[in-house]
Amino acid sequence: MIASRRFVRWLQGLVGELGERLRGRPALGESMAADIDAYLDLLTDEKIAEGLPPAEARRAALVDLGSRSAVRESVRDLQATAVFQALAQDLRYAVRVAARTPGPSAAVVLAMALGIGATAATFSAVDAVLVRPLPYADADRLVVLLHHGTDPVSPANFLDWQRSATSFEAMGAAEYWSPNLRGDGPPEKILALHMTPEALAMLGVPPEIGRLPATGPDGAREIVIADGLWRRRFAADPGVVGRAVQLDADPLVIVGVMPATFHFAPFWATKAEIWGGFDLGPRAASRGGQSLRIFAKLKPGVTLARARAEMTGITATLEAQYPGTNRDLSVTPLKDKVVGDVRATLLVLFGAVACVLLIACANVAHLLLARASTREREFAVRCAIGASRTRVVRQLLTESITLSLAGGAAGVLLAFGGVHVFTALGATSVPRLQTMTLDGRVLIFATALAVLTGLLFGIAPARALARISVSNGLRREDRGSTSARTSRGARRLLIASQVALALVLLVGAGLLLRSFVALRAVDPGFSPDRLASFVVSVSGSAESAPGRRGAFYDELVARVRSMPGVASVAAINHMPLVGDLWSFPYFVEGRPAPRPGEAPTATFRVVSAGYFETMGIGLVSGRTLASTDRDGSPPVIIVNDTLARGAWPGESALGKRLRVPAGPDPRDQVWRTVVGVSRNTVRGDLHDTPEPELFIPLEQNQAYRAEGDIHFEAMTIVVRTTAEPALLVPSIRAVVRGLAPDVPISDVFDMRQVVDQAAAGARFTLVLLGTFAGVALVLAALGIAGVISHDVASRRREIGIRLALGAAPVRVAAQVAGEGLTAALVGLGVGLAAAAALRGAVTSLLFVVTPFDGPTLATVTFALILVAGTACGLPAYRASRISPAEELK
Amino acid sequence: MTDARPPAAVLPGSLDVLILQALRLESRHGLGIARRVEQMTQGAFAVKPGSLFPALYRLERGGLVTSRPGESETRRHARFYTLTAAGRRRLRDDTATWRRLVGALAHALDPSS
Repeated sequence: MIASRRFVRWLQGLVGELGERLRGRPALGESMAADIDAYLDLLTDEKIAEGLPPAEARRAALVDLGSRSAVRESVRDLQATAVFQALAQDLRYAVRVAARTPGPSAAVVLAMALGIGATAATFSAVDAVLVRPLPYADADRLVVLLHHGTDPVSPANFLDWQRSATSFEAMGAAEYWSPNLRGDGPPEKILALHMTPEALAMLGVPPEIGRLPATGPDGAREIVIADGLWRRRFAADPGVVGRAVQLDADPLVIVGVMPATFHFAPFWATKAEIWGGFDLGPRAASRGGQSLRIFAKLKPGVTLARARAEMTGITATLEAQYPGTNRDLSVTPLKDKVVGDVRATLLVLFGAVACVLLIACANVAHLLLARASTREREFAVRCAIGASRTRVVRQLLTESITLSLAGGAAGVLLAFGGVHVFTALGATSVPRLQTMTLDGRVLIFATALAVLTGLLFGIAPARALARISVSNGLRREDRGSTSARTSRGARRLLIASQVALALVLLVGAGLLLRSFVALRAVDPGFSPDRLASFVVSVSGSAESAPGRRGAFYDELVARVRSMPGVASVAAINHMPLVGDLWSFPYFVEGRPAPRPGEAPTATFRVVSAGYFETMGIGLVSGRTLASTDRDGSPPVIIVNDTLARGAWPGESALGKRLRVPAGPDPRDQVWRTVVGVSRNTVRGDLHDTPEPELFIPLEQNQAYRAEGDIHFEAMTIVVRTTAEPALLVPSIRAVVRGLAPDVPISDVFDMRQVVDQAAAGARFTLVLLGTFAGVALVLAALGIAGVISHDVASRRREIGIRLALGAAPVRVAAQVAGEGLTAALVGLGVGLAAAAALRGAVTSLLFVVTPFDGPTLATVTFALILVAGTACGLPAYRASRISPAEELK
Repeated sequence: MTDARPPAAVLPGSLDVLILQALRLESRHGLGIARRVEQMTQGAFAVKPGSLFPALYRLERGGLVTSRPGESETRRHARFYTLTAAGRRRLRDDTATWRRLVGALAHALDPSS
């Protein structure tokens, strides 16, 4: 107690001294410089008084003074020396001490480097993704309005909301658009957005060149383009502004080029390269076609809660007026919409990395403690010949901070590598991660972390030395005394805490591994190997003429089928996993017509004959589509298992009839007979639960084959190949070009890669958390072994005596290992309790697996017991081999 | 003092005690201290600014003197240095030390011994 109070006083003295140095000395030095000038003035006065003329007096005074700067220098030298002398001495000594014990020093630096490197890299990821505001003006006031948080909105609703809501400074709409850009090279399908003028303006990002599309009907003919598109297609020509370009069939005027940093929208259509003006025109009255994403900016001072309350009121009124059109509107901050899904992941990773850092710190603390205790004599000598205890403590702190700063520097290097790992792993699954860099703040963060850990964990050994008594420390035969050993409590705490932290991390990694395996085992419902898909878009081409599309698709499918290396080919409107998802309500024959907005909906797919065979989708019952299901033959439909079970529970769906009254083709109004029930396939994501889906023959859909508008002018072709799909892509492109040079190919996918990619988000978390857990395990193992080894080393004499007195080596080993194992078991208990307490944090990251998964917990616990056993057992074995003769000499 | 030789630099180690002695009775500015030392040593020692200011800095750092801005008799702005209580104590101790030292030195160098 007394020792610790004394230690606190020393520390206060130390801090005071440092503070005084920081504040006092430079100021004193400055006043001194002014005083040297005053001295010169006074000397001049003296010479004048002696009778010299002023100018002469000045010169004489200057001669007497000598070089003014030399005088100033002499004071400044003194200052600098005073401040840095002690520090430099401490530093030199610290480096010498570190070099004297290269093993432990390297261990400290490595542990700190791993801890700080991983923490700094994760910090930059968290910073880039979660902390930094979105790159728009007043980004914290931007919100998104969507049904159920995800579903788009109809034009009439948008206009009603825009008119009546008062919480917003501006409200605008954006709609997905993928026009074919023609002219200046081959046609290219570009991702684009139609945006009402308010939507673009509220982002507050001015174009690099030109202006934004005008408000009013003229704006609908104007577009701004992305910097990347400008460079790729227009050779970065500034003269492009004002030029008309052909987008599909329409000539539109480029009025501006957006800066390279501009991306919109941040959560959907993220690769858009054209933002065009938007005129809702005849669609303004529609409450059916829900295709708009609504963006709004809150008025300054208006809370999210108030805006939500207002929108709830408005939609309730509209819902009463137009039932089924205004349900469950959510007002979400734009940033939450963008990063909401990855927030949990990143926070879990940050927590994990904090655990790694803590384990590293525990290691460092022990290494420093161990080293301090072997240097007890050295410090006793220094105290005996007059070193103040303050100085000794300062020396120790300098040593630990030097080591941790070296670790921090190595850690920053590691973090640079870590940034690449993060961005490579999370490129497709984590939004905004590409903006991640190690900036000044991260470096400051790492340095602060290093100094802080150095101070915090240097204090423990310094405290231990504060207790040493000079006379004891100096006694030569004091080798085995208890004061030289780290205390029993400290040893137990170090072991138990490392085990507990490692356990939490390993449990997390284990759960993610099990989820990942489960995710990889998900049957996509089709066979993705050697399956390629690509989109052809006839929009604006000669093939889009009414009546030509169907023939074009038929001919294209036939030509691709005849290519060598192709097993089968089919067409579908929207490919699972990579394509759009359109849902329409469907009615079942013989049931009362549902009320508006209450009809069940199904994903709407239009497929050519051979689709199920090409995809490898199995049938539950019935048949697939045949070439006899043509325009004019009886209307048929295939439904998936989920739809069949939902619509006709307990009976066969075959022969039943349904219709899709809101479908794009008037003929969708007719009752279609179910001829087959297909197995479920994944829709957009591997972990989505299956939804009802229906498949209409392309042959029987006029919207796609003949006259539909721009939304029906693209078709996905799926190709089952006999070789690597990538090898066939060039010849497929050649076939399309040969058939229709003005039809662009886009969205070329190898479905195997797509399915693998769908698990990328899970892989990102798994690889990182797994790495952290692995590092934690290694550090903990080394740490435990270090603690026990050091304990054995400081007790060699005692153990020697016991062996000499006849103690069985086995019992000695058991005693040594037992202490460590007991602490490790306590750590396991604490870790399991912590894992149970933290299970909520990981639940959202898991798939199929529950957060308290028995096999994971059992495996991890067993593995840790094994590791701790080895880490305790090896030093214990060595202890039992100590030669009494050697030790007692 | 009739010695015609030019003044020597202050004897090593003695400058601090000479400065403290110069400030024993009153506060002085830098030049005043230098002149007072010359006067006290009857011109035998000359204090150069290059050693005066570092010494003042050291003494002030050590809390033996304090300084504050003031005005000279010629109405110049200058810092005036004053002895602190610690400075007086140090002066007393050092005076005793120097007396012993000088006595011993004189005794050792006495040609009659």
